[in-house]
Amino acid sequence: MTAATGLRRSAAASRIRPRARRRESGLLVLVAVVLVLGSVSLGVTQRQLAGQPLAWLPADAGQLAIYLGALVAAHLTLVLAGRRSDQVLLPTIGLLGGISLLLMERLPQSLVTQSLAGRNFGLASIQLGWLLLAIAVITATAVMVRSDAWLRRYKYTWAAAGIALLLLTFLFGNEVNGALLTIEVGPFSGQPTELIKVILVIFLAGYLSDFRPLLVSASMRLGPLRLPPVPYLLPMLAMWAMALGIVVIQRDLGAALLFFAVFLALVYIATARASYVVLGLLMFVAGSLIAYQLFGTVRDRVDIWVNPFIDASGKGYQVVQSLYAFGRGGILGTGLGAGLPLVAGRLPIPAIHTDFPLAALGEELGLLGVLAILGLYLVVIERGLRVAASAADDFRALLAAGLTLVVGVQAFIIAAGNLKLIPLTGVTLPFISYGGSSLLANGVVVGLLLALSDRGVEAPPPPRPAGSRRPAFLGGPARGAR
Amino acid sequence: MNARDRAPIGQGIARVGLILSLLFGLIAVGAGYWQVARASDLSRAPDNPLVIAAARDVIRGRILDRSGAVLATSRNDANGEPYRIYADRSLAPLIGYSSPVYGTAGLERAYNAELSGLGSPNSLDDLLSKLAPGNTRGDDLTLSLSLKLQEAAVKALGSDRGAIVMLDPRTGRVLAMASTPTFDANAIANPVTAVAAFKRTAAAAGQPFLDRATMGEYVPGSVFKIVTSIAALSSGAISTSTTYPQQPAAEKTGLLVSGFRIHDGHHDFTGSLALDYDQAIEVSCNIYFALTGLRTGGAALADYAGRLGFGAPIPFDLPTAASQVTNGGGSFGGGFKDDVELANAAYGQAETLVTPLQMALVAATVANGGVEMKPQLVTSIAGPGGRQTINPEALGSVMTPGVAGTIGDAMRLAVESSWGRIFTSGAAIPGIQTAGKTGTAQIGGSAEPNSWFIGYAPASNPQVAIAVVVEQGGHGSARAAPIAGSLMGLWLKTLNP
Repeated sequence: MTAATGLRRSAAASRIRPRARRRESGLLVLVAVVLVLGSVSLGVTQRQLAGQPLAWLPADAGQLAIYLGALVAAHLTLVLAGRRSDQVLLPTIGLLGGISLLLMERLPQSLVTQSLAGRNFGLASIQLGWLLLAIAVITATAVMVRSDAWLRRYKYTWAAAGIALLLLTFLFGNEVNGALLTIEVGPFSGQPTELIKVILVIFLAGYLSDFRPLLVSASMRLGPLRLPPVPYLLPMLAMWAMALGIVVIQRDLGAALLFFAVFLALVYIATARASYVVLGLLMFVAGSLIAYQLFGTVRDRVDIWVNPFIDASGKGYQVVQSLYAFGRGGILGTGLGAGLPLVAGRLPIPAIHTDFPLAALGEELGLLGVLAILGLYLVVIERGLRVAASAADDFRALLAAGLTLVVGVQAFIIAAGNLKLIPLTGVTLPFISYGGSSLLANGVVVGLLLALSDRGVEAPPPPRPAGSRRPAFLGGPARGAR
Repeated sequence: MNARDRAPIGQGIARVGLILSLLFGLIAVGAGYWQVARASDLSRAPDNPLVIAAARDVIRGRILDRSGAVLATSRNDANGEPYRIYADRSLAPLIGYSSPVYGTAGLERAYNAELSGLGSPNSLDDLLSKLAPGNTRGDDLTLSLSLKLQEAAVKALGSDRGAIVMLDPRTGRVLAMASTPTFDANAIANPVTAVAAFKRTAAAAGQPFLDRATMGEYVPGSVFKIVTSIAALSSGAISTSTTYPQQPAAEKTGLLVSGFRIHDGHHDFTGSLALDYDQAIEVSCNIYFALTGLRTGGAALADYAGRLGFGAPIPFDLPTAASQVTNGGGSFGGGFKDDVELANAAYGQAETLVTPLQMALVAATVANGGVEMKPQLVTSIAGPGGRQTINPEALGSVMTPGVAGTIGDAMRLAVESSWGRIFTSGAAIPGIQTAGKTGTAQIGGSAEPNSWFIGYAPASNPQVAIAVVVEQGGHGSARAAPIAGSLMGLWLKTLNP
């Protein structure tokens, strides 16, 4: 970086000029209209079912106003900060979060309750709180991250932090549905895997961008596959072992699948070599077979997937009920609030707010609603990959692609599981499922994508000479030694 | 270096984006499959909350017999909650129950959607929209069953365990379908007594919940010789004049097949006479049919059994168990292990297992000139939208009318001839020519054999076909044949003259 550009940059930073974001504001108006209409539809149905007189009013005007206010505030903050970042991501995420809020308002409020300062809060209020926090995280990350140096420089520190979080979960995790998922700190509990997925992407982006030339050029032959020398395969083996470890120790199949899929995709993007993907898929198949043989949890999930109707009132219960919900929805759906979440006072799908929100939306919004929601995720994926493709260097490209994939692949895993396309694994539907960890972690993802898309963000450091790019553990020179 | 690497990384990103888009397309296809293609049948599943919720708002349809007698209806208890009333416990294994505690079973389960008023697409939409007024009526089912014949069949079995299937060979319509022991479905349907009654029935000896007529799997013994006959005569392996020179001697010493000796010895009076086909059926000669099975071959025997419906559940209004000729997997033709198994199967004593419904269809197919009719219990469904009649349907032609006539003649002789009368006299109906075949199925150890009869009447103009099995009832002639004769007589002379 020359002295001149440095001067210009600091001058620009000291004088923040508001910059209109017309596209974003237009889209946000559209989002507000859709959410108000949805809320009115829900309100009319709820009042009708409760035997109250007809009134064309939202289900919960207060919650909706607060939520829309937060989106406007986020938009204005970006405007005032003069950011030239992507203008489609925020409205898209805003719509997904708004759908989540309507869904939570529609489910029994007693599903989740929390007392705070002498007041009791139900499902929708708590989810609204998390949504507001997530919007705050998105905005803060998008505005405050002006340089990625702290991300790219300390990749091994990030890796260590991720592994430490994983170990914490192993040691102190609480069991949820047979999986070690949450850890508790005081009154708070969280799902560390949600944070670990972000850390993993940061580490992988750093590692792969550093060693990309070596991974691409060096090779040895193993049968029909052209592979890099063994030392360069170690990270892949380590990743595979970690995914298998998550399955073995935590029984968290969803996280393992997500991590491994994102890892493979990033390796492919970095190297453009199908042989890695083939090798990775072979290892995935081998690992799956081992896990199927050894673990009842895995066997159960696969057996349920093959035919949930065999044990429709036992192990296959939730999946069968999910399919019933989709079936009841048909093409147009029953309308928000008019589905059948309760039978004789019980929820047919106990985990509907965390693992099966798509089934609930499929019932009430129909196939068209499901297609619309899938479309929203595709928009997020398209915007994120666009940020990656136009990034200034490899690290940013891989980081943006990885962050996008984390959201996209996770949405695929749970949506496909709900629809019995793949065995069900308990991950959240990003921005729609109930849960703070998921919302906050995905908030960080979107915030980082916004920051990376900003044309005003600090330029990347110049690439270092190729010779210094050997990994330290191969006996190469330490950073900057030459 | 950086500039040169830009292109591939962009390409990789584009490809990953494409794959992810395709995966999302797959989800869209999956959602379309469940929400459009499968929506209707998913929404009618008995354990779908929609159906359960509908059951509370809908007055469940009635079930009527062929003459309009009410077999099942609903009443409201003191709190206005509906519960189910059944006419007679002889119906229980067949009609099952509809209980607020235990859900549905039997015909109540198989036709739950129709009985709950979810039968037509319009009513489903009404329920889905949740705007339809409550207390609609479910559809009424009319059965081909005769309540009086059903009661007589269960009474005939008495305290024995067993099953009786009677059907019209021309239409496949079921006239009676008994399974004993029965149980008190009223007590299970009544919310007050449901729990105690269900537990008592589930723990009772003889598995009363099991519908033996459709789900019971029995060793057939000699009634299976009719299946062997169909295969042997149809494939041309034997004719009615076929005799086996070694057969008379083997009656005394046993027939040696690959080191295994097949014994007979229950018809000493035939002496040194080499029996022809009719005579072999009349005296139920095991040696003759073992030799016939070997001559026919496993592949042909399995093939004709398959045409009759063996090897797969029979399409019916209720779930059915699959009958089998052999366990399968053997390398000898047709899945048999070796010639010993085939020879024993040919007279119904190897790994052969049959349901009473399957054997009633075998008799009915012979009676109907070789054309097998699909068994049918529900003949019409009547709802607010009108009445839908379900017409008889042929499953297929199993044998030529000529072969069916040949076997029918032998079965008539088995009941009416002087030799046949020694074994099967009980099946004869005064004034009506009857055709039939007894079976005495050894079930191993010192246990009394299962007593079997299959047949039809009148022989010249068949109107009713029957299969009777009485568990450990002794010889076919002792128990099953008299029951069959009296029930067919009751139907032809009194109930449906």
